[in-house]
Amino acid sequence: MVRALAPLLLLLMLAGCDALPRDASGTSERIVRDGRMRVAIAPGTPDAAAALSLLRDYARQYGARLTIVRVHGEHAPHWLEDGKVDALVGHFAKASPWMADISLSKAVGRPEPEDSKRPVLRIARRNGENALILATDRAVAAMAE
Amino acid sequence: MSLHSGIPRAIAADVRRGERLEYWTLGWMASVVLVMWLVMGASQAMKAAVIEDVLSLVPAVVFLLSVRWERRRPTARFPFGYRRANSLAFLVAATALLSVGGFLAYESVSTLIRQEHPTVGGITLFGHTIWLGWLMLAALAYSVIPPIILGRMKQPIAERIKDKVLHTDALMQKADWQTGLAGIAGIVGIGLGWWWADATAALFISLSIIKDAVGALKQAVAELLDGTPRALDSNELSNDAKQLVAALKARFGKIDVRLRETGRYIAVEVDCLPPDAIPTAAELMGDDLAWRLASLSFRPEPGDTGP
Repeated sequence: MVRALAPLLLLLMLAGCDALPRDASGTSERIVRDGRMRVAIAPGTPDAAAALSLLRDYARQYGARLTIVRVHGEHAPHWLEDGKVDALVGHFAKASPWMADISLSKAVGRPEPEDSKRPVLRIARRNGENALILATDRAVAAMAE
Repeated sequence: MSLHSGIPRAIAADVRRGERLEYWTLGWMASVVLVMWLVMGASQAMKAAVIEDVLSLVPAVVFLLSVRWERRRPTARFPFGYRRANSLAFLVAATALLSVGGFLAYESVSTLIRQEHPTVGGITLFGHTIWLGWLMLAALAYSVIPPIILGRMKQPIAERIKDKVLHTDALMQKADWQTGLAGIAGIVGIGLGWWWADATAALFISLSIIKDAVGALKQAVAELLDGTPRALDSNELSNDAKQLVAALKARFGKIDVRLRETGRYIAVEVDCLPPDAIPTAAELMGDDLAWRLASLSFRPEPGDTGP
């Protein structure tokens, strides 16, 4: 069992060397490198400003600016999945059919609705980009306070 | 010697100890399932770990049920008693172990093939949003402790009472703590951006679980098909069965001897006339294991019949 624990301890030590989590596909590093964060807005999102302001603040922290990417509504979640955009702002229900494919934030600028099928403003992130997901989760929580 | 009734006094205390350990297992593992469920979020890896932990309760439950049945007196409908309930429980426990291994392997392979990038985001507690992975690591670390302790406590008891269900449950606990360690490696891997770490670690563990489960299934089937008693930890014939055959042949000469196992008990059939002095179980098995010999039958061949 000691042998089984050794690589685990090594991993934990590695984890302690740097802040966790990191992005599986390196979105945060790319935002810093390119100086821009690509954001798409789903059609029919008149209140996107609150989420965009939050993302703009996030990008500014890394010396980057927001670039709004025009994308057809139907393609938007797929573009996010494929890494063609870094975040998607739109109305999604908590129990959205997309919830397994993309990572949805909590409701932006309002409390979570009791009806899990009611779409509200959220920020969708690419699955596995855990550093970006945690950072935006923190920003959404801070805004709620 | 009787094939049909209760638990022998020689092992009664150990069987009760085994039961107590299984009640502890149910309580402790239920708390593990609850903690894991609370922190699992949308992580597929954590969901798989929770399902695995629920399945791991099966051997403990069937052990408790089989011991309860083993104590029952024979009835008109079941004149041979219920001791074979242990053999049936063994099959169920081995199947549960195989299900855990198979489920884990399926989840791991499908994650690797689909290249799913696990998402572990933040959770807000007391006004602070922290990475959910830290809570998952704490829950997984907790999930590793009970099975290590319980598994190690069960093994010597399983050996003393020759209980393959309890032994399989100890294997299940091994599967539990190994899966927990794989889960910890996986969450740390996710934190480092290695999306494949979790599934790869789980795949290696699942292969070890499947190997143990297939071995246990072979033994369980052998027992239900009246095979010669097998060792607790392999499909080899058990040492006490080999010694019993040798003792009978030494006493009665070159005769055919058939052994089969009903639960933890051995029944013997010898092809010769009944001797004047029937050997006692202690003479054949030794004092410590005398309880295990439940029945000794002599089956004269047609030509053997005396005057």
